[in-house]
Amino acid sequence: MPAAQNIAIIGGGHNALVTAFYLARAGHKPVVLERRGAVGGAAITDEFHSGFRCSTLAHTTGPLRPDVAREMQLEQFDLHMIYPEPRVFAPSPDGRALLLFSAPAKSAAEIAKFSAEDAENYVEFHNVLGRMAAVLSQAMMFTPPSIDHPSADDVWNLLKTGRGFRSLGKKDMFRLLRWGPMAVADLVSEWFETELLRATLAARGIFGTALGPWSAGSAAVFLVRAAADGDPAGPASFPRGGLGALTKAMAAAATRAGAEIRTGAEVAQILVKDGAVAGVVLSTGEEVAAKTVISGADPQRTFLKLMDPVHLEPDFLGKMQHYRSLGTTAKVNLALGGLPSFTALQGAAAGGWGANRAMMGRIHIGPEIDYLERAFDVSKYGDFSPHPYLDVTIPSLSDPSLAPPGKHVMSIYAQYAPFRLKHGAWPSQRAALGEAVVKTLAAYAPNLPELILDDVVITPHDLEETYGLTGGHIFHGELALDQLFTMRPLLDWARYRTPLRGLYLCGSGTHPGNGLTGASGANAAREILKDLR
Amino acid sequence: MSARYDVIVIGGGHNGLVNAAYLARAGKKVLVLERRHVLGGAAVTEEIFPGFKFSVCSYVVSLLRPEIIRELDLPRHGLEILPLDGTFTPLPNGDYLWRVNDHAKTRREIARHSRLDAEAYEEFGKAMVAMCRFVKPILGMSPPDPTSLGPRDLKKLFVLGRRFQALPSDDKYNLIQLMTMSAAGFLDQWFETDVLKATMSASGIIGTFLGVRSPGTAYVLLHHYMGEIDGAFRSWGFSRGGTGAISDAIAEAAREAGAEIRTSSPIARILVQGGRATGVVLENGDEIPADVVSSSVDPHLTFVKMIEPGQLPGEFLDEVRRYKFRGSSGKVNLALDTLPDFHCLPGPGAHLRGAISIAPSVDYMERAYDEAKYGNFSSRPYIDTVIPSLTDPSVAPPGKHVLSCFVQYASYKLKEGTWEEKREAFGDAVVETLAEHAPNIKNITLGRQVLTPLDLERDFGLTEGNIFQGELSLEQLFFLRPVPGWAQYRTPIQDLYLCGSATHPGGGIMGAPGRLAAMEILRGWKKARS
Repeated sequence: MPAAQNIAIIGGGHNALVTAFYLARAGHKPVVLERRGAVGGAAITDEFHSGFRCSTLAHTTGPLRPDVAREMQLEQFDLHMIYPEPRVFAPSPDGRALLLFSAPAKSAAEIAKFSAEDAENYVEFHNVLGRMAAVLSQAMMFTPPSIDHPSADDVWNLLKTGRGFRSLGKKDMFRLLRWGPMAVADLVSEWFETELLRATLAARGIFGTALGPWSAGSAAVFLVRAAADGDPAGPASFPRGGLGALTKAMAAAATRAGAEIRTGAEVAQILVKDGAVAGVVLSTGEEVAAKTVISGADPQRTFLKLMDPVHLEPDFLGKMQHYRSLGTTAKVNLALGGLPSFTALQGAAAGGWGANRAMMGRIHIGPEIDYLERAFDVSKYGDFSPHPYLDVTIPSLSDPSLAPPGKHVMSIYAQYAPFRLKHGAWPSQRAALGEAVVKTLAAYAPNLPELILDDVVITPHDLEETYGLTGGHIFHGELALDQLFTMRPLLDWARYRTPLRGLYLCGSGTHPGNGLTGASGANAAREILKDLR
Repeated sequence: MSARYDVIVIGGGHNGLVNAAYLARAGKKVLVLERRHVLGGAAVTEEIFPGFKFSVCSYVVSLLRPEIIRELDLPRHGLEILPLDGTFTPLPNGDYLWRVNDHAKTRREIARHSRLDAEAYEEFGKAMVAMCRFVKPILGMSPPDPTSLGPRDLKKLFVLGRRFQALPSDDKYNLIQLMTMSAAGFLDQWFETDVLKATMSASGIIGTFLGVRSPGTAYVLLHHYMGEIDGAFRSWGFSRGGTGAISDAIAEAAREAGAEIRTSSPIARILVQGGRATGVVLENGDEIPADVVSSSVDPHLTFVKMIEPGQLPGEFLDEVRRYKFRGSSGKVNLALDTLPDFHCLPGPGAHLRGAISIAPSVDYMERAYDEAKYGNFSSRPYIDTVIPSLTDPSVAPPGKHVLSCFVQYASYKLKEGTWEEKREAFGDAVVETLAEHAPNIKNITLGRQVLTPLDLERDFGLTEGNIFQGELSLEQLFFLRPVPGWAQYRTPIQDLYLCGSATHPGGGIMGAPGRLAAMEILRGWKKARS
């Protein structure tokens, strides 16, 4: 048994909590230092209006990696996951609606209302993607190999994945190779003819990125997400009590394992002595000594804001400055006096499902590929989309504890809202953004504006200022082909270690990143424990 | 029934001719059949207006593989490459950026816009040469099948992996970025001057339906950077007598080696018996038998138009139908009474001797793309202009000039109207755009030829008007070109090969597909007939 070590962990987001748990379980003494008043990072629940609570930022899980959920025994800490069906409801301006379920046959029955051929292809697509996801999920579990000096473990992992890849058979192997660099619009168009279905699936390749559906590489983002959940529609699960309940449970699990959690403890600087990490200094001036420091913050914040640049090679610094982390998403949370009524769910359109049930999962607003692409177009020139792509949930439908009886909360991700605006600054544009979002939704649910009791608009600027996400990027850096796997965050610095001895990364800016899966945190813990041995 | 040939090559474009020349040199009895009355495919010189000779489609050369020039002894057959000096980019504010082959001069010019960029330009050049050194051998190899466990494929993959591993870490970093990023995104990391990034990123979009900010375009930038004349990277040139002269020189080399070449011989279909190609049928009904058929036309024409239904596996045909052409460019050729006069740098001068690039800003380039995405042509397009008559006076009457504009974007599929209706409007948009920088252009134009993507398809046999016989997008490169599993010039039909730009390493006047396909044909020959 190695000697227990004091370890400082910067930030109390979900990945940091996962890392803290594993390190504590191995007998070390991690202390989680969270800047804000509560842990959770981007997975939090706030009461934003008296009696109305809502997942402030993230509103669905990635989903959480099953081994992480199991080992942390989260269900013991009051975590109750809700798995809504249908997973996705996508209204169309013509008053029709597409519903997608976990069971491909059920989805196919809904798709058949648009196209019999698409219904058939959907089942096939579901199967193909499922097979690919099984192989890809292996690659998400391991540490990306070192390119210059692959270790025996690296070779073993690659061989294992190689075997999985080969087991796909020639046809699927070539599919996977071909899909990776494609535009997601091309990918879905090869399979489906219904525009609403194409757009609903394609959204998974662009969410949270600076890519449009026609951008090459958006299919890779789609595949990375499929690795966590092989269902084409994507996950829609969330915990009772909002995402904050998840990170609360994680914190409790970490604490029980022996980790210490301090809130209101803002790390101002990472201390370096003799070329190695020595601890951190808090904004109060307090020093926390630790030979191992793990940053759950994004890479740019870690290296460019929390460190004296003299400790890093200029080459590394230069590359880190070029790491792309400019967000494109904003969040709007609404307190509602009642349920919005979607035109597409009136009468016969709702099918046998009932309007309330149809709205329990994610509501996708973005009826056509071109609609999504046009929403993206304006962001390239520094404006936010007047007709944005929206990913919406009404969690109070399945979790009444979030709002007073008969009332509801609505959580909306809006894209594209570029971090850098060409005209004006975000604080002055906040209201206009909120209006564009509500107006867009009102085209599908006309009674929405009159239901609004209160709203919170979180711009990319707020994401950086309030939640510490550099560039307002919710995934700690762009998900693009050149910033994934062995390149996340930088080529050959994808193994959770950094150029500074004793300093590690464990956040979404590392492989595999991307959403609330806990995978980065778990992978990082495994590597750090190897070094502590 | 006419005489039997060892190999029939479909199409007398430059790749078809290269293919024929190598096969003839190996002792095969070769027949090249060209549909048009002139050889050269898209590398052709035609006298459109009396006395004015245009490189109608392809207009500059640099990618032609040095080993082909050497092995086929093309200079002896009349090939002469005249250097194209520099790129001149006029700006709407009256300024310009003028990069020339003289490094010191270019440095000073860039320093005028940004000192930092002038320094970075030097570093950038070095980095790109290192990248070209890595990629060049790949252009000379037939792609391995990554799903195969065959010794030949495994060895190639292993060698590639080793070569990559042996790269210095900075080169690895650059290479991965070049393979995955957008041209503008890649250049953003090096430079701050907008016009410099815009005009450089233009190489990343040529022949693709992607914008300068679309991932995948950095590779196309590299593809075009690999121009090599006399061993110097990034130098482009004209061929004396127009690009048709290149095709003529290759044809001459092929004939000398014993190949027979017939023009005005359109092919109706490829004969297939028992899963083997056995010859071709011409449109006039003539049947010509052959042991091997090598098609330099694109996969759509080869497999959908020339092969009878039922001869190919359905899954393969599905892949061929998925292959993306998506023509995005047009050509406008002008016969000029005198030289254009740019208001940012008036009068005649050396700046007119190189490429004139209408690419004033990255946003300008991106907006041109945005318009085309939804089925239009760009009202303010990216234009790459050359005036070859300044370098090679033989192509125009004395004192007069030919001006050739490569124009992007023009979507093959228009949302409204047809290209027949829009042809002149497209030509007008190009002339208007040029006139914003060189106001006299309208008055000095004696004749105008406008080629839309539809014209490129109909007149030059380029499906959907794609000048590279299919997009150079990442999922259509190397072992995925043209379709997964069939990147080694073979096809599901025995003895039918592909040798055009739709095969690795793709388009431009490179000749590599024709040469590599010839090697594969000869390899197959040895195996099957020894």
